[in-house]
Amino acid sequence: MDDNGVLTADQVGEDDQRARIAGLVNDAKQGRREAVGELVSELSPLLWQVARASGLSSSDAEDVLQSVWLNLLANLDAIRTPASLTSWLITATRRQAWRVRAADRRQKPVDHEWLTAIPDAGADSEQRLIMKDEQRELWEALRSLPGRCQKLLRIVAFVPRPDYDDIAARLGMPRGSVGPTRGRCLDKLRSALDGEGGQR
Amino acid sequence: MIAAGSGSNGAQPDDATLLLAVRDFFETVDPMPLDLPERIRFALALHDLEAEVARMARTVHETAWVARGAEESRIVTFDSDSLTIMIRIQPNSDGTARVDGWLAPPQAHQVEMSMADDSITAIADKLGRFVFYSVPRGTGRLIVRPPTASAAGERGGDPSYAVNSVITPALTLLAGE
Repeated sequence: MDDNGVLTADQVGEDDQRARIAGLVNDAKQGRREAVGELVSELSPLLWQVARASGLSSSDAEDVLQSVWLNLLANLDAIRTPASLTSWLITATRRQAWRVRAADRRQKPVDHEWLTAIPDAGADSEQRLIMKDEQRELWEALRSLPGRCQKLLRIVAFVPRPDYDDIAARLGMPRGSVGPTRGRCLDKLRSALDGEGGQR
Repeated sequence: MIAAGSGSNGAQPDDATLLLAVRDFFETVDPMPLDLPERIRFALALHDLEAEVARMARTVHETAWVARGAEESRIVTFDSDSLTIMIRIQPNSDGTARVDGWLAPPQAHQVEMSMADDSITAIADKLGRFVFYSVPRGTGRLIVRPPTASAAGERGGDPSYAVNSVITPALTLLAGE
């Protein structure tokens, strides 16, 4: 709910997703494999972003996602709520991503690991072409944000609000701080977008 | 400029609109491969609930100079709590791949290469070595079963008895065409 206690359309959508995931988790625990398959479709896009944001190559990200889902099957009993499913998956993905990167010594440390997936300005003209104007603007604005904000926004864009406290711990942030930090980062993003618009 | 959402009163986009734009942005510049969920479901379908899941530990690419030119091979290592599996994948001239593998610690286990619609089996010798001479192009995963587990399977026992089986993530054996 927003500050006035009004449920926004956005949150109604999130609640729907939450209820659906809760149902799927229950079905999965009772051994319905199709339910696990649906969870895979529902949550893999988020885990992909988590894996890539952790600095993994595409093929490493694919391998990590596969083993994360395989591990989930063996640990379904530990999942009590839909929110804990999301955070379990995020934690497992980050942990495995870290392991893969640690094992691959050739990979140099990445400073701005959260935006490694984004091509540099001027690089790869093909990639630039497929981006819409407004996405290119957003790209410039995101790159201008502090690394902490880049990291947070990339993840929360894929996570429903009720799960924020669960992911806070995983991101090394205090409980209750994800919402406010998200707000501040979005404000920064807004001014960056504004500033860029003003230059034109 | 990102268009302001219908819920906002000013020219500036509200939080939800902005987050949606961020999400769209990452999905455009760095999309998950479309077929990945399908491949994951395939992997899950094969999964033996009791198996230990090995992690891909490292990949090394080698180039060997042979009579007809450079030949790429790849050495991939998987780690699990009880077992390390190392395989070398080399392309055969007929488009298939030869896979040589080693189990550490060495043990005579049954090794299965499981693919989308087929699976082939090899037996590791006492030194833990095994070989698949001709593996079709595509995605495959290894399932290593200890003698007790495979014996239980042969006796017609419940396959889920394979308590200490080790399963690897699926990997693409030969890249490209």
